Amino acid sequence: MNCWTRRQFGCLAGAACLTALAPRVARGEAKSRVVVIGGGIGGATVARYLAASAATIEVTLVEPKPRYTTCFFSALYLAGMRSFESLTHGYETLAQRYAINVVHDSAATIDPVAKTVGLANGTKLPYDRLVLAPGIAFKFGAIEGYDKAATEIMPHAWNGGPQTELLRRQLESMEDGGVFLIAAPPNPFRCPPGPYERASLVAYYFKQFKPRSKILILDAKDSFFEQDLFQDAWARHYPGMIEWLPSQFTGGIKAVDVKDLSVKTAGDTFKGAVVNFIPPQMAGTLAQQAGLADQSGWCPVEPTTFESKLQPGIHIVGDATSGGDMPKSAFLANSQAKVCAFAIAAALTGSERFAPHLFNTCFTFLAADDAVSDAIALEPTGGTIKISEILISQVGEDAATRRQVVQAANGWYVAFTHDVFG
Amino acid sequence: MMTWQVVPAGTFKRRRRRTLSDRGKSIERVLANGTPLIATLLLAIVPIALIIFPSPAAENNRGAQLAAMCAACHRLDALDKGIPSIIGLDEKKLADMMAEFKSNKRTSQIMNVVARSLSDEEIAELAHYLATRKKGSEQP
Repeated sequence: MNCWTRRQFGCLAGAACLTALAPRVARGEAKSRVVVIGGGIGGATVARYLAASAATIEVTLVEPKPRYTTCFFSALYLAGMRSFESLTHGYETLAQRYAINVVHDSAATIDPVAKTVGLANGTKLPYDRLVLAPGIAFKFGAIEGYDKAATEIMPHAWNGGPQTELLRRQLESMEDGGVFLIAAPPNPFRCPPGPYERASLVAYYFKQFKPRSKILILDAKDSFFEQDLFQDAWARHYPGMIEWLPSQFTGGIKAVDVKDLSVKTAGDTFKGAVVNFIPPQMAGTLAQQAGLADQSGWCPVEPTTFESKLQPGIHIVGDATSGGDMPKSAFLANSQAKVCAFAIAAALTGSERFAPHLFNTCFTFLAADDAVSDAIALEPTGGTIKISEILISQVGEDAATRRQVVQAANGWYVAFTHDVFG
Repeated sequence: MMTWQVVPAGTFKRRRRRTLSDRGKSIERVLANGTPLIATLLLAIVPIALIIFPSPAAENNRGAQLAAMCAACHRLDALDKGIPSIIGLDEKKLADMMAEFKSNKRTSQIMNVVARSLSDEEIAELAHYLATRKKGSEQP
């Protein structure tokens, strides 16, 4: 708003007056300070729920990017069914309505003894509690030839943003009859149904605009999540278009060559007109540098607080965490973040703590009018987190049921991004 | 430095609209008049302001914490699209519905999983919390 009304001025003047006269404790100096690094789904949710649950906690959210693009639902964008803009969300509401101090910079250092975060611009942010939501990093070097430069030619598109746009441009300019090659990563990785949903919706796009094209999935695994649901859908919607080759068939993915857009397995070389190479993954870089990841490459956490098992006082949420049955998904990151926020609020303000509940739902599109979902409840038990309830869509459900899931999925996206970004 | 000024005017106003009594409204009028005495008046209202502007942490009880989990799919301002709205309903109806999801009398893949993971006591507190929410008045 550019134009100040007198009424608004009155509000501000009142606030300024409070600043001048309120005792020190109410002014800010005695407030607890929480710094959240990473403005993805987990980080933004922690910041929002901390800010909303306790006025005495001052929340700073550190995120270099001015806007966040969701990786979930990006398959709909790749298929031309959704705009890129519709996947993009700003931090304005978190800053304005929730009074979160949003700092658009990178966190460069963490000093757990002095309890400060050093930003790239040299600023030091003191904290009482630190939350990291570092997301994933890619294991460049694990596959010969696939380094950061290779991502500009064979995009992973496994973070929402320019990579997603690059892959869409490549698919759009691909000639009819080309092969779209997807290299699917080994477990564990972000969004277990993701590579296969991407194959399904790109097939949906090809079927309409490039019907002679093929999709080849080279998998680092021998099976994948909801495999029966996907293979049933591929046979019904895109007969003969999608081929999936498990690791036991190819002997595993060994190398890439960006010059001729090829992927080498133990026994063969496969060429694609477009190659979407989704590499092996680990917890985000800052988590690695801060000593929060164990030998697995992921960050073990206390199941009721999401405090690091390796560095007390630092909490971690989202895809970077590991523990029990937790899948890496935006939905679960949001659920973890709420558990973490309530635990931190309880620790800093003495507010009451209740038995935590964690849920995950993945809505997965198989075609424009065909989607499936799974729902799980997870509970902290015996020092880890285990699935307590699970229901998954079944092969053979009628078309009306599947259309209802499409409708629910679209409604979920609206509510979920509102829950995270306000 | 983060101090009170980080609470933007908009936030302040929203909170005021929801929580102020008539007494608060009269203060607003004084402010809007902008008389030469405004500074004095502002000083005078500070102690009142501290009382009548409660913390933005509206509620942090078990119902609120459970409702936060619902908010991943259902908007707590009821502006849902394609997903049933769950706020402002009759408390008993809501609790009964959850009990039916829990016992599989009513089927929904996601709601069956959610309801089964909650105790009867949790369902009661959640239903109470959701029933007291008003459309368009989401807590910050």
